[in-house]
Amino acid sequence: MAALEKVDAVIVGAGASGGVFADVLTRAGKKVVLLEQGPDWALTDLISSDIWSRRLKGSGAPILYEGKHAVGRTGDMGWGTGGAALHYSANFPRLLPDDFTIKSDHGRALDWPIAYADVAPFYDRVAADIGVSGDAKAEERWRPAGAPYPMPPLKTFRYGDIWVPGFAALGIATVPGPAGINSTAYKGRPACIYDGWCNAGCPTGALANPQATYLGAARRNGAEVRPFSYVTRVITDASGARATAVEYYDARRERQVQEANVVVLAAYASQNPRILFNSRTDRHPAGLANRSGLLGKYLMAHGSATVTGIFAEDVENYRGSNGYHHISYDRHPKTIRPDAFGSTFWSTTAPFKPNDARGMAAVRPDLYGAELDAFMKVKARGLARITAIIEEMPSLENRVEPADEKDEFGFPLIRIVHTFGKDTLGLWSAAIEEGAAIAKAAGAKEVWPAKAIGPQHLLGGTIMGRGATDSVVTSFGQAHDVANLYVAGCGIFPTESAANPTYTLYALSLRGAEQLVRDWSSIAT
Amino acid sequence: MDDIARRGFIQGSAIGALAFAVGGTTAMLTARQARAQGVPLRVLTADEAATLEAIGDVLAIGAREAGIAHFVDQQLTVAPGHALFSLRVTEFRPPYVDFYRDTLGAIEMSAKSVHSRKFADFSEAEKLEFVELLSHQEIESWDARASQGLVYSVLRNDAVDVVYGTVEGFARIGVPYLPHILPPRTW
Repeated sequence: MAALEKVDAVIVGAGASGGVFADVLTRAGKKVVLLEQGPDWALTDLISSDIWSRRLKGSGAPILYEGKHAVGRTGDMGWGTGGAALHYSANFPRLLPDDFTIKSDHGRALDWPIAYADVAPFYDRVAADIGVSGDAKAEERWRPAGAPYPMPPLKTFRYGDIWVPGFAALGIATVPGPAGINSTAYKGRPACIYDGWCNAGCPTGALANPQATYLGAARRNGAEVRPFSYVTRVITDASGARATAVEYYDARRERQVQEANVVVLAAYASQNPRILFNSRTDRHPAGLANRSGLLGKYLMAHGSATVTGIFAEDVENYRGSNGYHHISYDRHPKTIRPDAFGSTFWSTTAPFKPNDARGMAAVRPDLYGAELDAFMKVKARGLARITAIIEEMPSLENRVEPADEKDEFGFPLIRIVHTFGKDTLGLWSAAIEEGAAIAKAAGAKEVWPAKAIGPQHLLGGTIMGRGATDSVVTSFGQAHDVANLYVAGCGIFPTESAANPTYTLYALSLRGAEQLVRDWSSIAT
Repeated sequence: MDDIARRGFIQGSAIGALAFAVGGTTAMLTARQARAQGVPLRVLTADEAATLEAIGDVLAIGAREAGIAHFVDQQLTVAPGHALFSLRVTEFRPPYVDFYRDTLGAIEMSAKSVHSRKFADFSEAEKLEFVELLSHQEIESWDARASQGLVYSVLRNDAVDVVYGTVEGFARIGVPYLPHILPPRTW
């Protein structure tokens, strides 16, 4: 093992949140190294195919699962630079003010240690940085006013517009969906050409994936990315109060130690706890940043309730962007459903390609052979889909924890334990019933509601809070007991709302990274 | 730059093209071409490939000629992190060959217990009846590590991938492909 030059910051994970930290730090003149478990993808690697796109999905050390609703699966994860944001849909709804005060308002779940007003300026900053298309004024029927989005809404297609009368019939207002996809050229990146391949990775630069935005900028500013680097633990000094380095195994599976003044863990909500648990010492016997005993706890997923309809016309469902055509927060109020607590977020969703998990053939998994062929040839062009994202309340029972089984380097693998509670399941049932009614009202000839709740996204496990006894990190992502250790990503959310999380992830990461730079002298030295 | 020009402006690098061993050299072929040229299988046995082709053709008509066995076989030769088949996005842990070896063996065991013949030798009606039972997880003599539900899902996905998920497959059902970057060798 050759000695590596000490750097200002080592960032574990070159995805959405790691890219933001890298960009902010390099712009401040800091020397930054990013350690990425998977390959280093270029935009030219993003082949338009739902077969080829699977190589962007999770791989690496196995994860063990327990519970009724396995979550954080390979399909939700990323593999390589860009992380999950290399194959995401770039849907950018934001949290609403009451998401930050659930405990105070309802005596349920957890409050955030910050308010919507603390995050709102960073939503606007991110929109300006990487480009968001949408109609902010229209959204302000549900949220406080902010800056307008820098681009108008994306073009919509018939497979999205066809639902609007159905929503209206049930008294549900819809507005254009905000998306991190260019509706016009923006900052040297082209406008979307609506080919419908967002989830295979966008090579044109129209979609705000990390390569096209923060991570790309960081690399131009000198950030070094080391692919195929599997991080095992954070090393701390004898006092246990400071992180000094990160241990990892490189592409040749040789052990390396990267010293740094600051360590940022940005390795997805399941991997950050793994690394922190594996960093246990005499000073931190339960794992690093775990004085509260909450490391790995309060893991959350969103429940997905999809309703697919078939319409008696060609709805052009093979093209468009994966950005939502239309959204609604009308079912957001936490007590709007009589028998289940929490928020629901409605959207008209993405185009269909023939294969893969979101494709035409997956709409009717019961069909095969001649019936499948007839469905694909005749009916598939009339397919359109709406999706409700369902909020899950944080629970101590849902968690990431070390498993007995070890990885190839002798460190424990992780186990994800996750089961949706009755509130989430109740919200899901209500959404499925409501979605079927929307489909009928929209004129769908046949309606196929999902038969089981689909977990998606992974949040929590390293939640933020006011102190070391009730949380893992501060609202900036800074570990309470180790000042030069940061955790970034959806893992720091103490509650999840029902909105897609990445826009909030970007905003929180920008807020945390700028605090780190602002207080660098006291944190890093 | 107009849409069409932009659509083609970063035409593909050939990264990840399917590499088949042909006559001591490596050739970049689609699975359909590999089957048509009789490229030797490297992982699956002839019996396993016959079973996979037979059940694949029931799940998605044309999967045999589209090269389902060669597609899976080629994927089994690459590292799990480079795999493109749908098994990669399930919780099934590598090595992936364990899934196919175990599953295809279980299909043959069940087939013999039902009709005392290989699955590939079933009549078309018998094949449909078997797959219908598999899809409902109702094969009584099932003895595999993976559940019948996972097996049905994965094998159906493989068949759908090679029949409908390719450039030719899109064209077959009249869906414009609209690539930003065309898959290597029309994948």
